Amino acid sequence: MTWNDLVALTPILILALGSVAILMLGAWWPKRRELMALGSVTALAAALTAAVMTPPVEEIRGMFGAGPYARFFTTLWALTAALTLVLSGRYGAERRFSGGEYTALVLFAAAGMALLSGATSLVGLFLGLEAFTLVLYILIAFHREDDAGAEAGLKYLVMGAVATGFLAFGIALIFTSTGTFHLPEALSGLDPASGMRPVALLGWAMLILALGFKVSLVPFHLWTPDVYQGAPAPVAGLLATGSKGAVFAVLLSLTAGLAVGWDDLRPLLWVLCVLSLLVGTLCALRQDNLKRMLAYSSVVHMGYVLMALIAAGAAGHTALVFYLTAYVAMNLGAFGVIASFSTATREPQELEDLRGLGYRHPLRSAALAIFLFSLAGVPPSAGFIGKFAIFVATLDAGFVALAVLGVLASLVSVYYYLRVVVVLYMSVEDAPSLHPGTREEGAVLALCALATLGLGILPAPLLDLIGRLIP
Amino acid sequence: MTEFIHIPWLTILVFLPLAGALLCLALHRREVLCRWLALAVSWGVFVLAAGLFAAFRQGGAGWLLYEDHAWIERLGVRYILGLDGISLLLVLLSGFLMLTAVLVSWKVRRHTGFFFALLLLMEAGILGVFLALDLVLFYLFWELMLIPMFFLIGVWGHERRIYAAVKFFLFTLAGSLLMLLAIIGLHLLHTAGGGAPSFALEALRGTSMSTTVEFWLYGAFLLAFIIKVPLVPVHTWLPDAHTEAPTAGSVILAGLLLKTGVYGLLRFGFPLFPAAALASLPWLALLALIGIFYAAWIAYLQTDAKRLVAYSSVAHMGFVVLGLAAWNQTALEGGILQMVNHGITTGALFALVGMIDERAHTRQIAELGGLWGRVPRLSFFFLFFSLASLGLPGLNNFAGEILILIGAFQANPLWGATAFAGVVFAAAYMLRLVQGVIWGPARGAVFWPDLEPREAVVLIALALLVLWLGLYPAPFLQVLEGPVSDLLAQLPQTLNHGGPP
Repeated sequence: MTWNDLVALTPILILALGSVAILMLGAWWPKRRELMALGSVTALAAALTAAVMTPPVEEIRGMFGAGPYARFFTTLWALTAALTLVLSGRYGAERRFSGGEYTALVLFAAAGMALLSGATSLVGLFLGLEAFTLVLYILIAFHREDDAGAEAGLKYLVMGAVATGFLAFGIALIFTSTGTFHLPEALSGLDPASGMRPVALLGWAMLILALGFKVSLVPFHLWTPDVYQGAPAPVAGLLATGSKGAVFAVLLSLTAGLAVGWDDLRPLLWVLCVLSLLVGTLCALRQDNLKRMLAYSSVVHMGYVLMALIAAGAAGHTALVFYLTAYVAMNLGAFGVIASFSTATREPQELEDLRGLGYRHPLRSAALAIFLFSLAGVPPSAGFIGKFAIFVATLDAGFVALAVLGVLASLVSVYYYLRVVVVLYMSVEDAPSLHPGTREEGAVLALCALATLGLGILPAPLLDLIGRLIP
Repeated sequence: MTEFIHIPWLTILVFLPLAGALLCLALHRREVLCRWLALAVSWGVFVLAAGLFAAFRQGGAGWLLYEDHAWIERLGVRYILGLDGISLLLVLLSGFLMLTAVLVSWKVRRHTGFFFALLLLMEAGILGVFLALDLVLFYLFWELMLIPMFFLIGVWGHERRIYAAVKFFLFTLAGSLLMLLAIIGLHLLHTAGGGAPSFALEALRGTSMSTTVEFWLYGAFLLAFIIKVPLVPVHTWLPDAHTEAPTAGSVILAGLLLKTGVYGLLRFGFPLFPAAALASLPWLALLALIGIFYAAWIAYLQTDAKRLVAYSSVAHMGFVVLGLAAWNQTALEGGILQMVNHGITTGALFALVGMIDERAHTRQIAELGGLWGRVPRLSFFFLFFSLASLGLPGLNNFAGEILILIGAFQANPLWGATAFAGVVFAAAYMLRLVQGVIWGPARGAVFWPDLEPREAVVLIALALLVLWLGLYPAPFLQVLEGPVSDLLAQLPQTLNHGGPP
């Protein structure tokens, strides 16, 4: 590894080394809030570095990219981690989370996500993915006194271990068929002229299956509602946005280089997309628990992102990255609202807990309403522009049926998002007392709400930026 | 004059209420201030709209005002606003009715700041719809109108308000989402045909496509618009929404929201898909005629005064659509004028029912009656606007209806004759309403106060407009002449396009 490679890795090194430093610091200086604040600053520093620096090399040892695409996602995930840590401040302190370990794990997860998003080889993909999934197993079950959390952690662990097995086996098969881990060449095994084509196809199928687990596409979604419900709200936010977004970021680089064989894989993705839209929508309709509803809605949203992936082309890929960014803002915000309403003993997850909050806590309820309208794709919001861009790309690629299905799912989805808004604003005002929220939490929610509305009203700069960094 | 044109009047028109809404939200704890702020802003918008009307009273073809800026270039979306005679009249109506809505809501005491913020947000959305000339921008405003109305019905409505609010939202969204797909489809066809990526109305006009494709795309647009109008098979959301909505909500719903559907059809549906639109005219006429009779009959059977007025809206909008379907200068001008007329009279009737409800706490016709002797001023206005609504000559609805009927006779005598019978039906249900509410035996003890000055001012202003439009509609028709003949020129003349299928 040369000096240049290290320089190119700077943002991720800040995250990883910062993580280690805070872990050690926590042993001598066990102050929760201060350590978490330090963690946010570290993550912000990493985000800033990734945003402004121009690395001397485009690719690090044929493993990870350091180009604009990788740096964009590094910035995004570092920011996500910073916001998650701010949201965890009071939440964690009241649940006696240890500041050092928790902060270190979140930072490390961000490093893993950043590595995964920029992976340019199958080994890099595996390393990045495992780096943050392992961390998430712990984070989900971090609240030791909460049985639901422990159960959720275990569920995610078992499912994740199976997925890892498939992933490793899939990578091995692809390596067998081509003899390389480097993505651009590793994809050539699908060439019909290649004698190893059946092996490569099997490898690909396993790879997609494993990644499908991580982003909870139907039928690999069964863990999602339980894990979201059991995980601490800030962790659930990180899980819903960062871990899924990072997987889709690498799926884009995987399929973008797929010159041949794409037509064979597309029907498989098509089926997964249709199933995710249908099953996710129907299940979300039946939820009375906000976190479970968001879990099923995330299944649907991953269906939309998959739709953009299927549409492919510059339009589809731009739409995909834009949608992921919008999704981070609105979904992290939604989980952030739950976190900020949480008291020391409970999280308000059931819809009943939110009755009439619109008048008791107007600002945060308005923010939640904005996030939900945006998730539903109602303009003017980032969610609308994202869906719009996806539908344009999908129709342009000729998938009319898929686009119509997406529109219908979007229409039905309005019903379950509106249910929450109805409870917030239109029911009798007898909500139980919830936490008034801290100033930092308010700032994070305001930032997410501003991003959600801002990207809906003035999306042009971000779209132009994304257009430049799509490989 | 050039100075006058360089100020972005249309942007100001849309963003003034938006700014007012945000200010109201920020100051929501200071309820009295919010109320006056809403009044000031809606007054400002009205004055601006009236100023534009005064400046462009002579009418003329083409865009009277036009703004065009880049917005989301990567997707080909631009920020284009334009004003012609048709939008001018509807903008003026919006300004006036929003002012009315603010005034009739003066006594709202629950979450006052939030309420007025929603009203102003609604105004911004409606004005945007009447001015946008880029299809995505239009869609954005089109959806933006839904959110405040959803909250207005759901928070300040009556017993079954949540059901009505959700039904309203889902019904109107169902149509518009398919329209969104059609918009995208049209855009892609235009690009595939060699055009620069664009969503602008001007650019997309004349996009070449096969008849089948045109039929499907037009169908999606048509569905979105007739749900909003609402035409008969898809009207079921309207009575519920009206019955449960607070007074201001009903005024805006009937006066303005229903008009956006007809406007969309005129501005986008017909010019973008001329052949399919032409083929659809007899069907539209058929649905309109069915609607006139069906809604009149249902209205006659209502026991709730507000529901009766709501169904009368469906019947009146049937007349407007018939004017469209007849597709000649007279009928079209009449149809557009009738939109304005209906907005004023129905708005006034909803305001009156609301005033009675505030006092009597009931809207059941059977529990009212005999008001003439006790609250004469209120009863007078009730009678006046009911007569206007049933089309008494000299009052505004007559002017619109007669133009529509003449135009319909020209297009197809059968349509004209049938619609003419519909006028009699309108008389039946309106007279039943008047009979039940202000005449007849007095039921219960009525010791309400008569109109207060604020209410009187609103009703007098509305009544003066009714008289003006009824006796001398020429200035309003003058504005329409140019744009309507432009519209007609876009479709082949269709004087002999056959009877109902």
